[in-house]
Amino acid sequence: MRHKLGRRGLVAGATLAAALLAAPASQAQSPVTITFRFNDPEAPQMRAALDEFEKANPSIKVNMQRISWADMQQQYLREAATGTAPDVVHISFVQPRSFGGGKALRPLDDLIARDGAQMGVKGWNDFFARDLAEGPDGKTYAVPWTTDTFTMMYNTELFEQAGIKEFPTTWAGLRDASRQIHQRTGKAGWGFPAGSCATPSIWFYMNYYFWSDGPGWIDKDAAGKYVMGVTPEKATEALAYYNSYITEGHNPRSNLSVCLWGAPELVEGMLTGNTAMASMPDTVAIEILTKWDQRNPGKKRPFMTAPHPGGKNGSVTNFGGRMLGISPNSKNVEQAWALIKFLTKPDPTFKHYNNYTPAQRAAIDSRAWDAELAGYPKQLANSRSWGPYATGPVPIPFMWNAVGRAAGSVFIGEKTAEAAGRELHETIARELARLQR
Amino acid sequence: MHANAKGFVAFALVPAFFFLGAFYVYPFVFNLDISATDLDIFQLRDGGRWIGLENYVELLTSPGFRRVMFNTVIWLTVVGVTVRIVLGLALAFLLDSRTIRAWRLSTLTRILLIIPWATPPVVAIVVWRWILDPRVGAANQLLMWLGLIDQPIPFLADANWVWPSIIVIITWNTLPLVTLTFMASLQSLPGELVEAAEIDGASRMQLLRYIYLPHLKPAIIVMAMMSTFWTFNNFIYVWLTTGAGPGTFTNVMATEIYIKGFIDGRLGYSAAAGVVMAMIMTAFGMIYLRYVAARALVEEEDR
Repeated sequence: MRHKLGRRGLVAGATLAAALLAAPASQAQSPVTITFRFNDPEAPQMRAALDEFEKANPSIKVNMQRISWADMQQQYLREAATGTAPDVVHISFVQPRSFGGGKALRPLDDLIARDGAQMGVKGWNDFFARDLAEGPDGKTYAVPWTTDTFTMMYNTELFEQAGIKEFPTTWAGLRDASRQIHQRTGKAGWGFPAGSCATPSIWFYMNYYFWSDGPGWIDKDAAGKYVMGVTPEKATEALAYYNSYITEGHNPRSNLSVCLWGAPELVEGMLTGNTAMASMPDTVAIEILTKWDQRNPGKKRPFMTAPHPGGKNGSVTNFGGRMLGISPNSKNVEQAWALIKFLTKPDPTFKHYNNYTPAQRAAIDSRAWDAELAGYPKQLANSRSWGPYATGPVPIPFMWNAVGRAAGSVFIGEKTAEAAGRELHETIARELARLQR
Repeated sequence: MHANAKGFVAFALVPAFFFLGAFYVYPFVFNLDISATDLDIFQLRDGGRWIGLENYVELLTSPGFRRVMFNTVIWLTVVGVTVRIVLGLALAFLLDSRTIRAWRLSTLTRILLIIPWATPPVVAIVVWRWILDPRVGAANQLLMWLGLIDQPIPFLADANWVWPSIIVIITWNTLPLVTLTFMASLQSLPGELVEAAEIDGASRMQLLRYIYLPHLKPAIIVMAMMSTFWTFNNFIYVWLTTGAGPGTFTNVMATEIYIKGFIDGRLGYSAAAGVVMAMIMTAFGMIYLRYVAARALVEEEDR
């Protein structure tokens, strides 16, 4: 009996040992799951791209998390501080410096040094806005992923009805055209969103106004010190300029309740022909063209795009865009890096995520633009990085919010352009002084 | 008390003290500590630098502070709470009236009254934003159809309309609780008291002044105090309705704390604003309880 049990025990033990020995091998083959926090609205398209990644990398599964751009910063920074952030994070061009400086991203220099040549279309050196990917310590904290800029889209039929042959090239000319369209057609001219929120569109338009003629809010002097580039008078001038569209009535007061450049109200205004001009990134322009085609099959599109007006510096807008980074708490760095490398390849990612342009020169040069979007490559050629805004001490969100609040006060008649311009200048100058102390 | 009983009481109080300490005292002390630093949201891993009372000095001397306090105290709290109490009283009298009872509408009106209360604030705000939208909103469509306006009004972006609009939204969502509280108090009023006064020839105004309002006084006092605390601290109604705009026109203490902490990234400054806010409410609560509530409730007991 004891002997039989012993034999049975031996067999059972051998089986158990074999199972235990086999376990690590089977575990090693089970896929590693990484999390990817994605903030754009194109979730189904991105999921399709991630499915392709999983197919090409069977040992990696990607759990896509969603959050709005408005909430992503505070959510991510909290998680990064407590070691619970997703492996791969989707951030904007303005964030790597402050995130990297706060140790909320993993430096990528070792990975780029190893794999840079295989990245994107022509390798790491072909990516642009790489300066914005650096932290204050000079290390690279993110990989530029997509890029865009704002361009003016206009309704050619309304321009024709108003007797305007060319898109204006000066700021005064743009206002004249806007006024003329309203007077002759009864439609809105430049219907820019004039509402207040933390990330209002007016921030971009005021910067374009400044940059076309001189420096922006923050500039760097010859000694490398950050200084105020805009005077109170220039701030007042810009606020008065944009306010005149509202007081003269060619930007309807209903736009005081619209804050963002891609708001449905603005898209509908362009689609219905109630608004003659809008300024927007290419993703929104593509949305307008797509919806127009759906609603008017076979009909000619009444839209064109053109660069914003300019001054002595020409027409200058900013490179906007998205980057991808790895959180400092990621335990799956290699898998996260594999995903980033995959997503920066135009094929297949941008076949699905096709409203966006990869932030690589080769990809931009080879991108085919619809005829109506011809203004975008022209505007991109004259776009600039945030420069001293991104490298300087005052966080862009602070200035963005302050500019929007000041403009909102002027647009509703609470403050004069002069008072708001002076206060806004003081607010940013005070913050600059505090942070440089 | 026997030593064993004392021990049991102490033991029974441990969970209460633990939760008070963990969820009230510790966060408050932690917040107080942060308020004396320059901690910003990008440096969470490193922590902030000790700067003493600088945040408090900056807050109390900042040009926008007076405006924020005016919005919080006058518009949000005084106007908001007063409208709620007055309308709540009026509605409670109406729904408790003999006419409503005679028409057998009591149950229906109470169900209708509960609907706004059962609506989560976020949902209520989204619905109201649609109603007040200048392009497609029902309010503008109705006013234009009636011929009262010829241009839509951007209710939430117009200086003349934005505060009244916020007050309407808050009132719609929170009025039922106030009304139901007053109705419950009204229903506890002995009927013979009213009948006796009526037999003595009391007019409706005299009934209101000498019978109903004194009876409702404790409920009004408690509801006014609770509404003041809820409203003064409230973030969601203003933030989701206007984002503290247009400009800073509807910025209140709670939205200022959020903007400074999570948009400007200045968590230390934001914590200081939170401490100031808590101190204001503590002072209000103490004064209110000492001079208003206590006196009124003692009078009520003496009657």
